[in-house]
Amino acid sequence: MNYPFWDIPFIGGGMLIGFVAIIHTFVAQFAIGGGLFLVLTERKAYRENNPKIIDYLKIHSKFFILLTLVFGALTGVAIWFTIGLVTPMATSSLIHIFVWGWAIEWVFFFIEIAAAMIYYYTWDKLDRKTHIAIGWIYFIAAWMSLFVINGILTFMLTPGDWLQTKSFWDGFFNPTMLPSLVIRTAVTIALAGLYALLTSSFMKDDELRTTMIKYSSKWILVPFFVLPFGGLWYVLSIPTLSFDIIAGGAPAITIFVALGVFFSVIIFIFAYFLPYRVPHRFSAALAFMFLMLGLFVMGVSEMVREAIRKPYIIYDYMYSNNVFKTEADKFKTAGILPSSKWTHVKSADDANIMKAGEQVFKLQCQSCHTVQGYNGIKILTKGWQEPFIENQIEHLNQLKGFMPPFMGSESEKKALAKWLYELNKTEQIIRNQ
Amino acid sequence: MIDQTMIPDIDPIALPAPIWLLKFLLLLTFTLHILAMNVAVGGGFVAAFTEYFGRKKKSQNHFELSRGIAKMLPPFTAFTITLGVAPLLFLQVLYGQFFYTSTILMAWPWLSVIVIFILAYYGYYIFSFRWEKLNGKRFWAVLISATMLATIGLIYVNNIVLMLTPDKWKAMYFANPHGTHMNFDDATLIPRYLHYIISALAVAGVVVIMWGMRKLKSDEQLGKWAIRYGAWWFLIPTFINIGVGVWWLIALPREFMLMFMGGNQLATGYFLVGLASIFVCIMLMFVGMNASKPIGKIMAAKLFFLITIVTMILMRHELREAYLKPYINWDAVQTEPQWGVIIIFALLLVGGLITVIWMLKKSFGKPAIN
Repeated sequence: MNYPFWDIPFIGGGMLIGFVAIIHTFVAQFAIGGGLFLVLTERKAYRENNPKIIDYLKIHSKFFILLTLVFGALTGVAIWFTIGLVTPMATSSLIHIFVWGWAIEWVFFFIEIAAAMIYYYTWDKLDRKTHIAIGWIYFIAAWMSLFVINGILTFMLTPGDWLQTKSFWDGFFNPTMLPSLVIRTAVTIALAGLYALLTSSFMKDDELRTTMIKYSSKWILVPFFVLPFGGLWYVLSIPTLSFDIIAGGAPAITIFVALGVFFSVIIFIFAYFLPYRVPHRFSAALAFMFLMLGLFVMGVSEMVREAIRKPYIIYDYMYSNNVFKTEADKFKTAGILPSSKWTHVKSADDANIMKAGEQVFKLQCQSCHTVQGYNGIKILTKGWQEPFIENQIEHLNQLKGFMPPFMGSESEKKALAKWLYELNKTEQIIRNQ
Repeated sequence: MIDQTMIPDIDPIALPAPIWLLKFLLLLTFTLHILAMNVAVGGGFVAAFTEYFGRKKKSQNHFELSRGIAKMLPPFTAFTITLGVAPLLFLQVLYGQFFYTSTILMAWPWLSVIVIFILAYYGYYIFSFRWEKLNGKRFWAVLISATMLATIGLIYVNNIVLMLTPDKWKAMYFANPHGTHMNFDDATLIPRYLHYIISALAVAGVVVIMWGMRKLKSDEQLGKWAIRYGAWWFLIPTFINIGVGVWWLIALPREFMLMFMGGNQLATGYFLVGLASIFVCIMLMFVGMNASKPIGKIMAAKLFFLITIVTMILMRHELREAYLKPYINWDAVQTEPQWGVIIIFALLLVGGLITVIWMLKKSFGKPAIN
């Protein structure tokens, strides 16, 4: 209501955020586990006195910096850009509450980037001990930046005591912070294995390739012993409504959860039977397929994480459509149109009913729905009669638990219902003729 | 009459620090970002033209320098990003209601920054890692990348100026809500942008001089050449930039122009110090580039150049405050400093700097025998 609404036809803002976030997370979490992989593998090479592994690591670390420093860092900035554009109110809240959290995260980001560059550029320059120390600095800084961001991200789902105290620490150390940290840390390690499988499978030396493929597969297998416990802990810590959404409240999300679990198990089984048991038969094509499976699992789990936060963007504080929970009643009595800065239409009456309806849709619904496209409202309301639409709007939050209540006056509700009805009406008339 | 109804309400959560501290950190990190950006962007252009001259004159000196800059570009590009994140954070917390709105108006150009940056950055890596193999294509590789980075600067300036002029927003948004606007009809935009980009060339010139000073020991002829060559890259853009600066000043709304000419003591003070220090800097540079022992004079010139850059950034800040004065009353902005977290941040920042300095020291030290 406060900010202009950025109208993105067909895909909608939510989809755009999801797209950017998934590709970023897939690379950024590798950047963390991959750091641990580099140092531990370097240590292993020295311990076993195997210079071939060092040769491999030089190539792997080049791939690593090219992927993480460029693509990983910039897609991270891209998330920030995108959330500011799509949900400026929520972004502003997160920045105001956690500006010092972000600033601390920035310090770790800075150390991380410097350490990654220095690690890569000093393979032949530094003594072993110092080089490994820089690798550790890299990994610790990278993990600490995850630690900070994880606190802020989980805050959005479970703000916990912050709602009462408004204290930074209550918001940061919130109920899902730790379980989420355990899951994400395990995932970063598994991802390190997935990416290492890919670079290993390109090694020309047969012996080196086989050794590295088997070694990388262990990085995938081990975290899977942690993930089920982390997942369970997480599910037990989320709000009741979120649990209901997973447990069948929104069938699409339940299916996503099932797919996520199913393909995780597939990755585990295949990682055991292929690269671990028969590393010599493993190929780059298979490694690539593994990576794509990983991306898929990451994609569905991030989408579930976003979905279970509904109807809020910051739980019990701000609704998905960027309205403060405390403002809902005000909009119900005073109307949303007069309270909005970025609309021509200041009230809904018979003369401007269609225009007003469209504006109400824009203000209340378009954060999640497009007209035609992703979560498109036209298809969702197809065949609905006007009084039925009105009734649905009236009881939105009861009928669909993951939607915010309608926040607007009687006349605005009527205008919205009319506009929604008219969307499909022309087609219906043609069909009836 | 100014229409203030369009400006979003200030976030109800109080600022978690005193305003002066946030503004100080904004300006400090922005200065560092600008310096890194100048090397990354200006350095790219200098490398491209150095390649071009090298090929024309068949000069080994030029190629040596091009190779030297090639090694610098990826790290400085990385620093440009990391050092850019912090000022963007402090900008959002202080001026979010202006910044988010102008960004939404130009959403697609703004997002395109990411794609352009990824391509340009990979271009720099290709220039750096494949310097030998690229050979004749080096000029194009680095020129295209630098031009892409300079385009990002243009998009940034569009947004940073648009956020200062809320009276334009309404018409823009109602004409088109899809986030495809730019802000080229602002008369200050082009001189403002050119002023930044041209000074990037001058900063890159100073980096060439520093590179030359490092070379003096191992190859005196190359070092001396680079110092003179870099000095010209500093001097010519700086002279041009004085003209562009005047253009910007004249293009400003009259009251803002007069602010720097006695209207506002602080702004005028910054301006005078900036002018005086760039004058001293130019003199020292002229003397230093021809001196038999240039190091002392050039170090002094660098110091005065840095003073100029800082005063320019302070002037830029005063200008922003003047633009936004009708729309924001700082005395009414609530603050509830989170001192505990601020202290942790400060300690981590110091610890982080020590760590990075330690790593750099190690990596630039003597090569070890494995």
